[in-house]
Amino acid sequence: MPEIFIDNIRYEYETPGKVLQFMLDNGLDLPFFCYHPSLSIPANCRQCMVKAGMPIFNRDKGTYEIDEEGNRKIRYFPKLMTACSLDLADGMVIHTHHSDELVKQAQADNLEFILINHPLDCPICDQAGECPLQILTYKYGPEGSRFEHKKVHKPKAVQLGPRVILDAERCINCTRCVRFTDEISKTHQLTIVSRGDKNYPMTADGEEFDDPYSLNTVDICPVGALTSADFRFKARVWEMNQTPGIDMSNGKGCNTWLWTRDNLILRITPRFNESVNDHWMPDEARLSYSRFNENRISRPQIRLDRDEQVPTSWNNAELTFREELDKVSPSQILVLGSPHASVEDNYSFRKFFEEKGVNEFFYLPHIIPGSGDDLLLSDDQAPNTNGVNALGFRETDEAGLKKLIKSKKTSIIAILDDDILERTGLTAKEFSGSFTVVLGTNHNETSLSANLVIPITCAAEHAASYVNVDGRIQRTIPAKETLYTNRRLNLEMSMSRLDHYGTKFDNWVTDANRVDCIPAWEFFTRLGDEQTTPAYHSSREIMEEIAGRISRFKEVSYDRMDDENGIQLELKQNTEVNTV
Amino acid sequence: MSDTYTFDTKDLKEIENIIAKYPEKQAAVLPVLWYAQDKFGHTDSSVQKLVAETMDIPEAHIHGVVTFYTQFYEKPMGKHVLDVCTCLSCQVCGGYDMLHYMEEKLGIKAGETTPDGQFSIQSVECLGACGYAPMLQVTNDKYVNHLTREKVDKLIEDLKAGKKPEFESMKMPQHVNGSDK
Amino acid sequence: MSNDWKSYQPLLIPAIRDLHEISVYEKNDGYQALKSILSDRKKWSPENVIEEVKDANIRGRGGAGFNAGLKWSFMPEPDGKPRYLACNGDESEPGTFKDRKIFEYNPHLFIEGAIIAAYAMQVDAIYVYIRGEYRPWVHKLQQAIDQAYEKNYLGKNIQGSDFSVEMYTHMGAGAYICGEESSLMESLEGKRGYPRVKPPFPAQRGLWGRPTTINNIETLANVPMVIKNGASWFKTIGPDTHPGPVLYGISGHVNRPGVYEYPAGMNIMTLINEVTGGIRNGKKLKALIPGGSSTPPLRADMLDGVTMDADSLREVGSMMGTAGMVVLDEDTDMVDLIWRISVFYHHESCGQCTPCREGTGWLEKTLHKINSGDGEIRDLDLLLAICNRMEGRTICALADAAAWPVRYSIDRFRDEFEKKCKKTVYAVA
Repeated sequence: MPEIFIDNIRYEYETPGKVLQFMLDNGLDLPFFCYHPSLSIPANCRQCMVKAGMPIFNRDKGTYEIDEEGNRKIRYFPKLMTACSLDLADGMVIHTHHSDELVKQAQADNLEFILINHPLDCPICDQAGECPLQILTYKYGPEGSRFEHKKVHKPKAVQLGPRVILDAERCINCTRCVRFTDEISKTHQLTIVSRGDKNYPMTADGEEFDDPYSLNTVDICPVGALTSADFRFKARVWEMNQTPGIDMSNGKGCNTWLWTRDNLILRITPRFNESVNDHWMPDEARLSYSRFNENRISRPQIRLDRDEQVPTSWNNAELTFREELDKVSPSQILVLGSPHASVEDNYSFRKFFEEKGVNEFFYLPHIIPGSGDDLLLSDDQAPNTNGVNALGFRETDEAGLKKLIKSKKTSIIAILDDDILERTGLTAKEFSGSFTVVLGTNHNETSLSANLVIPITCAAEHAASYVNVDGRIQRTIPAKETLYTNRRLNLEMSMSRLDHYGTKFDNWVTDANRVDCIPAWEFFTRLGDEQTTPAYHSSREIMEEIAGRISRFKEVSYDRMDDENGIQLELKQNTEVNTV
Repeated sequence: MSDTYTFDTKDLKEIENIIAKYPEKQAAVLPVLWYAQDKFGHTDSSVQKLVAETMDIPEAHIHGVVTFYTQFYEKPMGKHVLDVCTCLSCQVCGGYDMLHYMEEKLGIKAGETTPDGQFSIQSVECLGACGYAPMLQVTNDKYVNHLTREKVDKLIEDLKAGKKPEFESMKMPQHVNGSDK
Repeated sequence: MSNDWKSYQPLLIPAIRDLHEISVYEKNDGYQALKSILSDRKKWSPENVIEEVKDANIRGRGGAGFNAGLKWSFMPEPDGKPRYLACNGDESEPGTFKDRKIFEYNPHLFIEGAIIAAYAMQVDAIYVYIRGEYRPWVHKLQQAIDQAYEKNYLGKNIQGSDFSVEMYTHMGAGAYICGEESSLMESLEGKRGYPRVKPPFPAQRGLWGRPTTINNIETLANVPMVIKNGASWFKTIGPDTHPGPVLYGISGHVNRPGVYEYPAGMNIMTLINEVTGGIRNGKKLKALIPGGSSTPPLRADMLDGVTMDADSLREVGSMMGTAGMVVLDEDTDMVDLIWRISVFYHHESCGQCTPCREGTGWLEKTLHKINSGDGEIRDLDLLLAICNRMEGRTICALADAAAWPVRYSIDRFRDEFEKKCKKTVYAVA
């Protein structure tokens, strides 16, 4: 197997590639700015310079030449090489800052150059704390600067587009953003303008940077030149905690990070997953975080007269639900699962009514043809259409639903988290003949028309699984506390510095952001007949049960999803929801 | 005004001919921008937009190209642009004197345009006429060599009168001294 | 060679009236080299043409001085897909104004040389990249190309053979960096002129991803005479290691500035004192920039016996470059001069990679500080430190070109720089 020596340690490699990527793959450190594994390699920041050489091969003897000490003679390249653009070669010798003073010096020199025209405004810069330039300067930079002249001035606080703001002075011209619009989103909306140290990225005159993926440029910007119009100045990154999640805003199931502070989601950023979203995520998905914070249903709601819902106790909600169920025969119950709810919620929902004798289960796919693209937006607006389908819910549509309500002489309609009224032509009138129970996360048209509303946890508050449009099952981890969960006790939840050291007496901590809700499965556990229904303690147990009972979920487990970054399910080819 | 720039059928034909010289149409960006600048006098954002639309090339790309090359005028310039070389040989042979003389004469600074829109002056980098320093170029076209104050006066008079400088053939001294067969 | 130069008859630009007209050029043995190749394809197979040119050791006249034939031999075997020759007429290095003479006086010599190069490397199209400022000369070359098309020296089935090649002019628009070969290709492809990372080299992946060779205009103009008279004849002109005629563009403080054609290896003092008639106004020589702004300046006392060829100039610590000689008299303010050169490089840095983008500006600002009398001695060390950090750390050689004049003039004219700096060390009485 070909070999390469980095700082005098031997490594083997199988596939050809570049030295920098190989080093990153092997956990070795080398500073860089412009390189990005998913973009082309311009080698323009010059930060990843290494000393590189090849052993001298003697063709006549067919061996490497050896020096007096028995080591291979190395012929070094006359100049330092950028590791990002340097191809791995058998026998190659690389020296980084760990074993070569010149390389160490070159890295500091380059940072000194980068910093001469970079404003030293970290204290007011949104990128501070997660800024590669800041971090690498700490680690590899010079002690100070010898630059005593005026810095070059460029446009500041430019609204580049609806979601992205540019500070051209902070730009270090790595061109990642331009390459992103050229190579990934292919909108070609950005270019570098001007020349020399007056360079900065810009759109054409009078054009907006309204690329549906524009916020990815904020992620990959190695400085604070591009910041998110939505997130900037909201929080310092070191105050926040970061929890892995799954995007709920469409069917692609982009892997995400949910960033919370004091139990509010403040932003969503993509989490690398080669088989789903690579490093990217649509803007729409990022900005969908407000649904986790705002307009949440907190405490059960009950309708006493025709117009008004009032909060009620969990006991009363449960009792009312039981009473209503006892009044009707199973055939009069219409059960609507949801592509917006998790596999576990849909499963326990279905199982509960199955035990009551209901034998038909429906759901309405939420697909808007033409709204997807061939990158990460899908026509499917729901995160779990394949999941609810695989659990045996039958697909129906608006007309089908109307027919069902009529033919069944329905007395109870149970709806799992899905704003059916909003997204179909149905109106509250259609439901008015029945007792409607909605298990929902947010107030919406459907929940407001219901007779009983049970507040359930959202994807940011529970651990649950979702099957994306491509049939990949992935799970979430709770990022926000509810009134009944506690990050100090739930070992799966992450803790930021504020979470650790803050107390409820600190002025930045408030209980107001904790929602009074429980997972749907927990509600059904409470309602269920203790004789027949085993009480679940966690969604993990439910998934174990599902895996054992439903062949399509065979061998699916939380551990496997965690280890493998999601599991590809074998779904039937004819599942018509597979439209991207 | 800004949206009144258009290419007529003849222009489009010409642009098609330019594009045909290259295996890929993007290669024609520079010549087409030149063509547009000759027609409109500059390549400001509306001309950039026109070129982008005509060639079906992203506007940002055109914008980036225009701002990279110094000869494309990002905004309308004077009728006559006087590019005075002040680099190296011209510097040591009095290029700055000529520049300052012109600034004084026209009452503007390098980089500015006279209020009547007749003249713009720019201090530019080497124009490749080092042996004939100091010198200037008139609106991206003819060179005026071996500048003196008198020559500058005459040039400005001529330009005001609508007379553009002729192409001046700078003979090789060897030829002048030797026999011209 | 002493006085040989006086009897030298120019080969690249002979004194023939209207030589730019194809009929005159043809009458003076023009296109004979191309015709002889096309009429004896056995003797002149593409490989043999390359061999002959390689043997002649025409050292690239654009500045790098690399053997042109050797460069041609890097082109891979033809695979049926397009290949290109790009001719570099960007000529933006301050002090350089020679190639435009070829466009003006003897364009067909260059065209013929380019066609022969195209034949040898079996390329499909020739693009002549000319700086935008040379617009009048672009038209002159275009006229010559049109004539060559009319006479079927260009186009399909040249002179009845099966060899075809197209030739196009392409005008730049004001960017020094586009004289760098990979940047030239980017510019030809209609992009911002950012130099490309090498490898891959142009012969592997050039224009539109296809094998491409880039040659200077003057370099190609040497090719027809090599074919006509043979490499061994060519090597009798000038020094062994740097043969052939050279266009010397001499400017600055001399009595008769202009472009002169003499063999390579001319004695510098002969060029200054005799060819161009000495320093004007009877002044003394102070310094010489031998081959364009990026070549390290030489002090007058370093020039004794130095000749204009790569080896001799390397020995005294400079380079041949483009043979664009800038002669400077005793009144020249070297600090002012170097500051202005640094303005040039700052203005022309494309801004793609860090050390050059930031370094050129830093050099300029520091030199400006010194030039305006605010400098301190330590600023000179800082300048050298910046140069150290720029050289060899970038994608192309512009950073090196920007650093050399600064580094070497501080080295060679240090007293002048120190004089301009504030006195930070006080003499003890």
